[in-house]
Amino acid sequence: MMLSRIADSLFWMARYMERAEDTARILDVNYHMMIEQSPQAYRLRWDPLVSITGEQERFSAQYGQATPRNVFEFLAFSSENPSSIVQCITNVRENARTIRDRISRELWEDINSLYHTATRYNPEDEIAVGPHRFCNYIKFGSHSFHGVADDTLPHDEGWNFLQAGRALERAEMTARIVDVEYHKLVESAAAADAAGNHQWMAVLKSVAAYEFYRRQYHAGIEPEKVAELLVLHAQLPRSIRFNIAAVQQSLRAISGSGPDAYANEAERLTGKLHESLMYDRIEDIFARGLHAFLADVQKSCRSIGEHIARTYFYYAVVA
Amino acid sequence: MFRDYETGPFFDEMFAAPGQPRPHYATMFQELSGMAPSQFEELRKLADFSFLLQGITFTVYSDGRGTERLFPFDLVPRIVPHAEWERIERGLGQRVRALNLFLQDVYGPQRILKDRVIPRSLVYSCRHFCRHMIGVEVPRGIYTHIAGIDLVRDSKSGEYLVLEDNVRTPSGISYVLENRQVMTRTLPRAFQLHDVLPVDHYPAELTQILRRISPRGGDRPVMVLLTPGIHNSAYFEHTFLAQQMGIELVEGRDLVVDCDIVYMKTIHGLTRVDVIYRRIDDDFLDPLAFRPDSILGIPGLMGAYRAGNVALANAVGNGVADDKAIYAYVPAFIRYYLAEEPVLSNVETYLCSNPEHLNYVLDHLSQLVVKAVGESGGYGMLIGPAASAAAIADFRERLRANPRNYIAQPVIALSRCPSHDPATGRMAGRHIDLRPYCLFDGERVVIVPGGLTRVALQPGSLVVNSSQGGGSKDTWVLRGDA
Repeated sequence: MMLSRIADSLFWMARYMERAEDTARILDVNYHMMIEQSPQAYRLRWDPLVSITGEQERFSAQYGQATPRNVFEFLAFSSENPSSIVQCITNVRENARTIRDRISRELWEDINSLYHTATRYNPEDEIAVGPHRFCNYIKFGSHSFHGVADDTLPHDEGWNFLQAGRALERAEMTARIVDVEYHKLVESAAAADAAGNHQWMAVLKSVAAYEFYRRQYHAGIEPEKVAELLVLHAQLPRSIRFNIAAVQQSLRAISGSGPDAYANEAERLTGKLHESLMYDRIEDIFARGLHAFLADVQKSCRSIGEHIARTYFYYAVVA
Repeated sequence: MFRDYETGPFFDEMFAAPGQPRPHYATMFQELSGMAPSQFEELRKLADFSFLLQGITFTVYSDGRGTERLFPFDLVPRIVPHAEWERIERGLGQRVRALNLFLQDVYGPQRILKDRVIPRSLVYSCRHFCRHMIGVEVPRGIYTHIAGIDLVRDSKSGEYLVLEDNVRTPSGISYVLENRQVMTRTLPRAFQLHDVLPVDHYPAELTQILRRISPRGGDRPVMVLLTPGIHNSAYFEHTFLAQQMGIELVEGRDLVVDCDIVYMKTIHGLTRVDVIYRRIDDDFLDPLAFRPDSILGIPGLMGAYRAGNVALANAVGNGVADDKAIYAYVPAFIRYYLAEEPVLSNVETYLCSNPEHLNYVLDHLSQLVVKAVGESGGYGMLIGPAASAAAIADFRERLRANPRNYIAQPVIALSRCPSHDPATGRMAGRHIDLRPYCLFDGERVVIVPGGLTRVALQPGSLVVNSSQGGGSKDTWVLRGDA
């Protein structure tokens, strides 16, 4: 028996945790790539970072120009940015607070200590030393969160909502990363030169797939291959396909529906998207246009989120 | 640690005379005396960190961002020898039974009003007297499932007195349980040297009572704890108890009433609810019956309750029993309903609704404590000896305008207990009170040994409320007398 409100909080707790980790990864990797680069490339790289998080307008209103300092402050600490890392961590804790009777004491203490530590970093100090220290802490915090959750929560419906939240957020974030990066790089025609190569390496590193890419392809960094890996690979834990499969598995576990059926609209959309990620080849996707494909993926992710809410959290009560 | 310690003109819980610990405090005195202030400070930090990590904090919204503060915790326990506790237990047991009988009576046959033991007008003019409850049969006749009775020890006589009754939604038990846990981690050796009665069976006892009042019976009734939500200052306690009791923590928006049945909204549809341990005041429970502007409550809940389809703990309308003017009559209730003499005395109380008492109070405002009858938590109070002339003048006006709303009591010199003074790093005497938590299952009153000892950490202060610099201590009831 699980209250709708509690399922809702578990789902969003995991989404915010994932959002914080993804933002930290993107910031960290790109910043370090950047300091090895020429000033033009420097400018080129910072704008997309803000676009990935979908907060371009708010950023422009607050700062105007994208400088390393501004971008770091905005993405990591800003209270004006609802998706900043500190805001996400605060939301993780607020969600956890409303359900702390339902999560393990260990998980609550883990989240609580993450919150207290993350909010006590002094932005000016961190800007001075660069994002690595802070971002690394957040990444570590997210791993700890999932480790503690896996080991101390019963793997019941609530746990499945947690898994679904994390996977859905991650799928959407990877779609955004590939979309924004690919778009910008192709546009600037920089993809072929050495700088372009570096930037694709940054993309791979931000999703922890660099070493895997090297082993898989034994080749130089080619944008198409990078896209193939991040969109279609079945075992890479940050690929879109991997995560949509995870969403599907969690939703089926919650409703109890079998492998050839769906119990609600969220499951139908997830299944449909998973089919296409399983059977489409990267050539087919490029033939249709990568951007259009990724835009569809993002749209599907949003619909799946809405239908999960409508099915389980906010259904109308007919009295 | 005890250099320059003064017991002053007060009853000191640890010392019978300067430098002479009472027998039940001898071991603790030795433990503490052997400690350097720096060592003690280390332990104090450890305890604070433990509270912070567990999120046992309350939020102060003064800087717009919400800062989290700890409830100050003092590491020196209040120790109660067994014989002393037994007397308290007997006194509280009869008091809770009498309060429950009074509620049964006042919402039922009203014998006590007919027999003129208490004036009808006094009862009917209580702000928390609830007309909706007249003639309602509550499950097993229990109104006061949980009572928090505040006790103080009067320095003059050395006796415990009842300061007030709380039979609506008393809070604080989570601190009793958490303080104990932190204490055993922080001072394990001192704890082991004493034979302390455990407290951690409270959640199980309470669950047992709630199970028994389920209107549908059965082994596995659906029980929930109803909280006003995350912004309530006792929210931590609500989550803590729900978790410890293994019941669902719900907010008003999680519940819905249909045809006098209460349901909660789960991911697989509606599930019927049998028992609600509510931590929301009567006024906010049901916007159809009480305050229409309440968004915390559940429309139709009172209908389901009156129909006997759901049990509430505590019952609705209990406020008439812990009204501070009714308080003066509780010893009379004990004699009337139980034919027993009260074991624990009340603090002498002047009812301002009585013209003679009112005149006396008006003449002696600067020596008395004046309290609004329907308030709790230290609100609506005047402490005469500490009050400004303006505050006294203000209360004089209020008393004349609405005498029924006030009572007055002499200032009680609360006993003191050695407590850590962060300013000097050493021990100093600080005033304390005690709130034991009593559970009533219709026949027996179960009290977890001890309760919440609150301490006024400001030098000289008599106010133990957390909003005014109060903290708490662990309370150790010994299995023996030393």
